[in-house]
Amino acid sequence: MVRTALRWIVGGSSSMLLVSAQAHHSFRAQYDSTKTIDVTGYVTKIDWMNPHVYFYIDVVNAAGKTESWAFEMGPPHMLEQRGWKRNSMAIGDELEVSGTRARDGSLTANARTVRLRATGQVLGAASSEGQPARP
Amino acid sequence: MRHWRVAALLLAAALAGCDGGSSSATSAAPAAAGKPTPRHPDGQVRFDSEPGGRGHWGQASVSSLFETGVQVVMDENGLLANIADAPRVAPFQPWALALYEYRQKNDLKDDPTRACIAPAGPRHLHTTGGFRIIRDPTYDRMYVLFGGGNRNWRVVFMDGREPPNPEEVAGTYFGHQAGYFEGDTLVVESSGYNARFWFSNGGLPHTEALRLTERFSRPDFDTLKYEVTIDDPLTYTRPWTAEWTVDWVEGGEIAERFCEDHRTAVEGE
Amino acid sequence: MMRSVRFGSLLACATVVSALALSHDAAAQFRDLSQGRPAPRTADGRISFSGTADEVGNWEGSTANGAELIYPTPEDDPANGTDALPTNLSVEQVPFQPWARALFDYRQRTYLKDEPHVRCKPSGVARLFHTPYGLEILDLPDSGEVIFVGVGSPHSWRVVDLRATEHAADAPPTRYGHSIGRWEGDTLVIDTVGFADSFWMNRLGLPHTAQLHTIERISRPNFDTLVYEVTIDDPGAYTETWSGGFYLNWRSGNEPFDYLCQDNNLDPERLVGPEG
Repeated sequence: MVRTALRWIVGGSSSMLLVSAQAHHSFRAQYDSTKTIDVTGYVTKIDWMNPHVYFYIDVVNAAGKTESWAFEMGPPHMLEQRGWKRNSMAIGDELEVSGTRARDGSLTANARTVRLRATGQVLGAASSEGQPARP
Repeated sequence: MRHWRVAALLLAAALAGCDGGSSSATSAAPAAAGKPTPRHPDGQVRFDSEPGGRGHWGQASVSSLFETGVQVVMDENGLLANIADAPRVAPFQPWALALYEYRQKNDLKDDPTRACIAPAGPRHLHTTGGFRIIRDPTYDRMYVLFGGGNRNWRVVFMDGREPPNPEEVAGTYFGHQAGYFEGDTLVVESSGYNARFWFSNGGLPHTEALRLTERFSRPDFDTLKYEVTIDDPLTYTRPWTAEWTVDWVEGGEIAERFCEDHRTAVEGE
Repeated sequence: MMRSVRFGSLLACATVVSALALSHDAAAQFRDLSQGRPAPRTADGRISFSGTADEVGNWEGSTANGAELIYPTPEDDPANGTDALPTNLSVEQVPFQPWARALFDYRQRTYLKDEPHVRCKPSGVARLFHTPYGLEILDLPDSGEVIFVGVGSPHSWRVVDLRATEHAADAPPTRYGHSIGRWEGDTLVIDTVGFADSFWMNRLGLPHTAQLHTIERISRPNFDTLVYEVTIDDPGAYTETWSGGFYLNWRSGNEPFDYLCQDNNLDPERLVGPEG
């Protein structure tokens, strides 16, 4: 089980936390809105590319094992309009990330918010979530 | 086994048109020779059709990218007839020459266009499929609409804006483009490219340091003159220039054809 | 033989079917078109689907807010307002052929995991109009065309010929189809045939066949609203013609940007649907 990180400190307005953006595809086909996750880890890779930015962090789980998590965000242009820069995070940065887990059971999630521990900045991830889960 | 047709390329002068099929779905009778350059009411050169007309830019006089003044023989895919000519194609840095030769010797098998990555940069302008250069009727910008590749487009902002800091924004396929006119020549300066595409069909390398200066002019109705300066100090030892012409296809429409319907590389390859 | 354009009869049929739709949930909050800034016009008085010299921007149809061809969709919450047209049909009202309804239901059950658009496949009809990241509309009277330029997947462009009055019989099937159009006052009316069947015509995946014939009507009742409505005439997939549409929103300040679906597209392998 992945150790749950401390809740992040909300530094900005609530509108920053869930910045819904229209997806170019079905969110629920990939992610399960009932399965959320909060992790803290160190950045190992950043793919600042379309159609979705991906970043990868190493997270130490409750058993002390290091897991590599992949997080999806929105497209670069949308992120850059929401306060991100391509160099906002760097390899080795410590992040607190909340997100929604992938349906395929992999260590993949759709990021909703990212807190950069070094600066305390909280950024929305231009997530395509925001629609009610299918009953 | 390489299959190529030898096409002798004489540079430093207007080149004869290559053979090869036109991409347009229809074509009308050719325009009268020597028609003057069309213009907008404000006098600016029209790079698209004249009022009441239709058409697009069609066949380029070259099929690949190489430095002006260099004489090499390549086929329509940019494959050298003689790999020993590789060092003369462009002023390579050593690593870039090695990579170019690798791509050539391996029949360009790693060409990203196989996965429908855009044939971006100057490559779009000699990829079969045609293109149009359209002035936006409302804003100070131009669009270049491509019929080749996956039928993409690029936008040239004409309002004098500075490009963003490439360290702060994503690397692009089509560049952050700023254009202006020098007389009747449209000059487009672009930067902010990523390195995930081949900007020539023969596999010329580039890095994110690439900067292009393109010059478009229309000396007469039927001729587009194109000149591009490639400036990438990480890849080439100095800036270098290539040039060619493109013929106007009067009355023709760019056929709708998407790479995605013909891709040869699948996901994950 | 040229295909005839059957505007009148198609619209009459669509009107009958649409009348059935005017009984949506009273809680639904449809857009009030009487509000808003007046739509801009060109110097010669024509309606403009673009911005002005002082205001750049472009259009975005948001499926997150109900911009779809039917109403309600599985994702709609009537209390939140909707970009669907008040005349949209519900799923039960759409006159599917049985196979088409079965396929549509399958696509919903599997959460649209097989969508071609996600795999960078260009998709015509409504899909272009509710793909995110912006839609530019170029009105080009000199060449007698309107060109739609889409930023999102597949970062391509679609041409409407305003000079032609008939379709060519030998036009090969394409993803965007062969479009001819005309202005009816301030409404752009587009007649399209010659569709391939290898795409989904909207995000929810309403089926179609190569027999599809659409009539799209695009208008701008105020500065910030674009109305997109399409009449679907496809006897292979539907027992009657029917119509649906949505509003696109003006996004002031938006400009076209670089985007390539094929860049690092990991979605196809991750679209697993409900089974995971």
